[in-house]
Amino acid sequence: MSDGLSRRSFLKLAATAGAAAAIPGCEPAARKIIPYVVPDENIIPGVPSYFATTCGECSAGCGIIAKVREGRVIKLEGNPADPISQGAICARGQAALQGVYNPDRLSKPKRRKADGSLEEIGWDEALKLFNDRLAAAAKAGKDRIAYIGAPQGPTLDRLTKLWAGAFGSSRVVFWERIGTEPARAAADACFGRRDLPIYQLDRADVIVSFGADFLETWGSPVEQTRQYADFRTPRMRRGGLSIGKAAYVSPRMGITGAKCDAWVPANPGTEGAVALAVLNVMAGAGSLRHAGTAASAIQAQLAAYDPESVSRKSGVPVSQIKQMADWLGQAESPLALPGGDDPQTYLAAYAINALTGSVGNAMVFLAGAPAETASRPQETSAVVQAIGAGQVDVVVIAAGANPIFTMPASWGAATAIGRAPFVVWFGDAPDDSAQAAQLLIPTHHHLESWRDSAPRAGIYGLGQPVMQPVFPSRVLHDILLESAHLGAGEAAQSITWENAQDAVNAAWQELQSKLGLDPMGAEFWNQMRRNGGSFERAKALNVAFNPDALKGATPARVESESALLLAAFPHPFLYDGRGANKPWLQEIPEPSNQIVWDSWAEIHPETAAQLGLQEHYKSTYLYAGIDVIEIATPSGTLELAVHITPLVKPGVIAAPIGQGHTSYGRYASGRGANLWAFLPAGSRAVPVRARKIERQYKLVTPLGKSDMMGRSIVEVMSVEQLANGIKPPIELEEEENTPKLPYEMYDAWQYTGHKWGMTIDVNACTGCSACVAACYAENNLPFGGKEEVDKGRVMSWIRIERFIPSADEAAAAPNLYIAPVLCQQCDHAPCEPVCPVFASHHTPEGLNAQIYNRCVGTRFCENNCPYKVRRFNWYPAEWPEPLNLQLNPDVTVRGPGVMEKCTFCIQRITNAEIDARTEGRQLVDGEIITACAQACPARAISFGDLNDANSAMVKRRIDNPGRTYTMLPEFNALPAITYLRSLYWEKGKA
Amino acid sequence: MAAAIDTEIQPSYVDVDRQVQRALAPGGLKYWLWVLFCAFLTALGGAFWTNQIYNSFDITGYGQPTMWAVYITNFVFWVGIAHSGTLISAILFLFRVRWRTAIFRLAETMTVFAVATAGLFPLIHLGRVWFFYWLVPYPNERSLQPDFRSPLVWDLFAISTYLTISVLFLFTGLIPDIANARDKAVGWRRTFYSILSFGWQGTDRQWRNFATVYLLLAGFATPLVLSVHSVVSWDFAMTQLPGWHSTIFAPYFVAGAIFSGCALVLTLAIPARRLMKIEGLITIWHLDNLSKVVLLTSVIMTYSYATESFMVWYTQDPIEMATFQQRYYGPQGYMFWMMITCNCAIPLLLFIPRVRTNTVWLFIISIFVNIGMWLERFVIFVGSLSTNADPSQWKFYVPRLTEVIITIGSFGWFLMNFSLFAKFLPIVSMTEMKEGISWLKQAVREVYPYRKAA
Repeated sequence: MSDGLSRRSFLKLAATAGAAAAIPGCEPAARKIIPYVVPDENIIPGVPSYFATTCGECSAGCGIIAKVREGRVIKLEGNPADPISQGAICARGQAALQGVYNPDRLSKPKRRKADGSLEEIGWDEALKLFNDRLAAAAKAGKDRIAYIGAPQGPTLDRLTKLWAGAFGSSRVVFWERIGTEPARAAADACFGRRDLPIYQLDRADVIVSFGADFLETWGSPVEQTRQYADFRTPRMRRGGLSIGKAAYVSPRMGITGAKCDAWVPANPGTEGAVALAVLNVMAGAGSLRHAGTAASAIQAQLAAYDPESVSRKSGVPVSQIKQMADWLGQAESPLALPGGDDPQTYLAAYAINALTGSVGNAMVFLAGAPAETASRPQETSAVVQAIGAGQVDVVVIAAGANPIFTMPASWGAATAIGRAPFVVWFGDAPDDSAQAAQLLIPTHHHLESWRDSAPRAGIYGLGQPVMQPVFPSRVLHDILLESAHLGAGEAAQSITWENAQDAVNAAWQELQSKLGLDPMGAEFWNQMRRNGGSFERAKALNVAFNPDALKGATPARVESESALLLAAFPHPFLYDGRGANKPWLQEIPEPSNQIVWDSWAEIHPETAAQLGLQEHYKSTYLYAGIDVIEIATPSGTLELAVHITPLVKPGVIAAPIGQGHTSYGRYASGRGANLWAFLPAGSRAVPVRARKIERQYKLVTPLGKSDMMGRSIVEVMSVEQLANGIKPPIELEEEENTPKLPYEMYDAWQYTGHKWGMTIDVNACTGCSACVAACYAENNLPFGGKEEVDKGRVMSWIRIERFIPSADEAAAAPNLYIAPVLCQQCDHAPCEPVCPVFASHHTPEGLNAQIYNRCVGTRFCENNCPYKVRRFNWYPAEWPEPLNLQLNPDVTVRGPGVMEKCTFCIQRITNAEIDARTEGRQLVDGEIITACAQACPARAISFGDLNDANSAMVKRRIDNPGRTYTMLPEFNALPAITYLRSLYWEKGKA
Repeated sequence: MAAAIDTEIQPSYVDVDRQVQRALAPGGLKYWLWVLFCAFLTALGGAFWTNQIYNSFDITGYGQPTMWAVYITNFVFWVGIAHSGTLISAILFLFRVRWRTAIFRLAETMTVFAVATAGLFPLIHLGRVWFFYWLVPYPNERSLQPDFRSPLVWDLFAISTYLTISVLFLFTGLIPDIANARDKAVGWRRTFYSILSFGWQGTDRQWRNFATVYLLLAGFATPLVLSVHSVVSWDFAMTQLPGWHSTIFAPYFVAGAIFSGCALVLTLAIPARRLMKIEGLITIWHLDNLSKVVLLTSVIMTYSYATESFMVWYTQDPIEMATFQQRYYGPQGYMFWMMITCNCAIPLLLFIPRVRTNTVWLFIISIFVNIGMWLERFVIFVGSLSTNADPSQWKFYVPRLTEVIITIGSFGWFLMNFSLFAKFLPIVSMTEMKEGISWLKQAVREVYPYRKAA
């Protein structure tokens, strides 16, 4: 761990190391657990502490709560008080734990020697080097220092600007590759303000998304998933029972397209044109109710976007354009969502929303929107150009910005930064940009830092350290502040704060007065730290739409006649690349294609046939792809293994962004291809040529067959069937095949106390895999890497199953069948009678328990499980230090040779029961929540007591009578989990 | 060949003794090289098993959802083989079938060592083999019992009973023969045989007791032929897996066991009789009758496959039908068709008398039968696991080096034990041969017309 441990820290570490060392087998038998001699003030061993902070994994800024045991954070949950997350958290947020405990984090400052290798140096030497260079650059003139860092929240960013200003430089860039510039530019044109609107999907009744993968990476996926689940909940609207209707215009389906009624395959980069064509049709049909007198003017401006010509460019049939226009036109509360990097998509969507009256309802501008954090792309590229032109002496790269990896190739960031005289890199895990640095300085992870965030009006999120730093890193802004005071002298006098924490504290005092609160000082500050921030409802603004904005609509960017288009999309977990060094995010399969640990090229079977690619792997289920193509782009060639799938438009090669790091730790380096390097600035699409090459490369997937074969795993029913009380065909079939009076050899179990069960709403589940990540974190699940997944050894206890409806099913099915599958805790568990040693047995509370210490590893139980939810430890689990600090002390770490499976988080159940017993009371419904249920942004999973008729879980079943089903009922396993059928609109119905 | 039969067509008591004990002469270089080779294979298998225990199952090809694959296939394969040995030595004894006398000792030996080999595999396939004894209901202070509902616990009882009875049966029957050998042996062999013969003197009383005990043991062993493999088959039939959950499994497996075991007796007897020069004792007539059993059981297997397939179609259960469709036409379907060829088609040649009395043909056919029977178990076990109730969990299994080496090692272990036994203990029962000499001569004459020009 760190050098120079204090006795207190040593005891903390020893206690935790002892708790984590419960591995039998060939490990040394006994390790010592040393109890505290002098107890720490805030720690009761065995009792967790909870700290509220703000997640820093993306710009959504969800509030989270960190569960800390014995001084180390072991689990993250959503903050129920935060309006964005409302208690939920996404997979990326869960994996932040693997960021703070990443084994490849820098622990000592390093300097690059003349031969290019790195040597460790002391802090004093490193900081002296840094400060000397800064001073020299400041003396040499203005603007000779450049800072490229990810946005860190208003206070810290303000600090950074002041620091740079103290050295006479204004070249400060807050860089987010997946940025908001197109949205802001369009908002400026349409509404005269560069704010970002807030979307409230639950207030709409029709949503058409033009390239916005709102359930994956766009905006705030956690918030949008929750809203979308509401949107799709059946409720009475005019005309009867209905659910919201949605369409998704995009080159690839993804899970966003899977959960919409219509996935409209469109060429990448043409989403904006399609949106304008839809607007055109709506204008012609008179659906723009709020257009008023401007209606004809608007129609004239859109003349170039008639459906026929847009259909030719985009590949979207005219009928679909017209249908989307029809949907939006007929809706009471239509909502268009714009995505991608093309401002005209946003123009069109804002126009649709404004002219149909949805602005102020489903799309809202809030008063008091925070100032923009990220720099505009033009400013950023100007700074990069200046660096390349030799106008900058010191380049500071900080806070995970990773410009060399994410900046467009045309900016030449790699060359420019490579040529800069002195590059300093600050961060936690050295990435591709650190390769160009002469000085590397370790700084805290966001979970170890004081910061704040202002994602939208009314929300001021606080970020506080949830534990002592894992590595001997330092606070970035403390270093900056110190260097400002040292080097810039009088120019730094205006900076009154001593360190970052001070600055954040001061910012909160400002907020206090802004909120009109009595400056009671400490009480407010404590309240904020407990809540994780200040969460107020901001007022909606009345904005007026400027019809002239549409004059600026320009033709779609991707105009080429090229046969093939490359559509790059941010990987839902790896995002822009930052998630690649977190093994959970690599091992959890991307939900729509179920591929792990790689980049891939999604190609439609027709296109694949043209390229000479075959699906010869399809029947063996051994891999997801093996042929490799070479893709020639204007910026260079890349090779990608091909995954042939109908979930992408013919003529499009869809490839995920996020892999292809040259250096970013052991889990990320040398894996896949970096798509950013081949994309032009401001677009994620590029015309390409591709050819098959002789190389073979295996794409690994835990998924077997994609065809559900009509089995009762993910059941669906149409809205019409639900509204009219008609049973869907599969239910009728099951009724026919299931004997009316099943013969029971044994008496039924009697549950006098609690009987735990779950209700899972498949309609709400989007496949986002937050539950999977939460389970990995809570239950000490091992990750094996690509080779182990290849051998079929994924250890996830809960998985997202995804099936593609066959041709004859497609008419009566959603776009994809998606559902979470976990141990069903069956009443007639088939796994119980076959275990020879009672390792699998039934508890008095209805769970099927697995006793790890008793398991001899015959693996008979998994053979008999129809759901295949059990997992065998084929290999000894390893967590390279310090990932092992994340392990939950309440859950055994299983050794090799032992079977494991979902336990309904029995450690949480038992802890709650113990607490209740200690306090002499009954358990309250909602007191126990499993990790998966807690994380789910869609609130799809409800856990509770079947013997409690008032529990939310039971109520959910009672309130949805026509939708309940159990998986594979023909096996008569009597699962404790009841699923609620997913709903879809019958094709061709309004 | 023909000349040899002529002269040895009338063996006397002395002839029998001489022929059998000639085989007990110290082995030559070739013999020891062979035993060394088998020992090497055994050691290799043992080393890989040790590696698997030490380094976990990571090195094998096992993965979700094939929890059972090559090791269980080997287990069922070897246990199945064992059954026909007991059939020949116990059941055919009770039925007083004449042609059993020359080969039953060889078959019984095969049984014992096959069970010994089979018994290794439940250990090899365990994740934590050092806790294997938890399946045994031994008294302990925590009052823990194994779960008697589990077919694996039934297996434990069945296999251990079978091993015990088979060993007792074999060694009981051996006592007079070992005494015979002891009388003519010198040196350490005399001591060795003296110990094993338990002081047998051949008195009237001893013979009477011997006959009674032998009959009793044969009686004990008889039901085991049917029950043990039924119990083993219930490892699969008692699950819910499509393709396993079928009541046909018990008779299906028992018939298959006899089938493959008799074929292995042929595989062992044909070279053994040649190398040890006991063609006069284990004659073509014996092999002919044995191959008729092989043919009979092959036809039963064909009928079983047909019944199984028919029932799957008849149920119209989509999950069952999908599993079987994969079994026939899936990526591992070639194994199914190889199995049909080896088990159903090739043994039909045994309808031809010329084939039945030709040792080369019999040897080849018996090898194919065993290949087919090994594949049958693999196809059933791995196939059903690979194509189970949840299609997203379908994945086909590819064995890796560890499984292959351990399988080969098991053959090495079996052959090493068998070869050592054959050299040091009488592989043909001198006692029973002498009892049956008279009708042996008659029987060989009956077969002679078949042997035109071999």
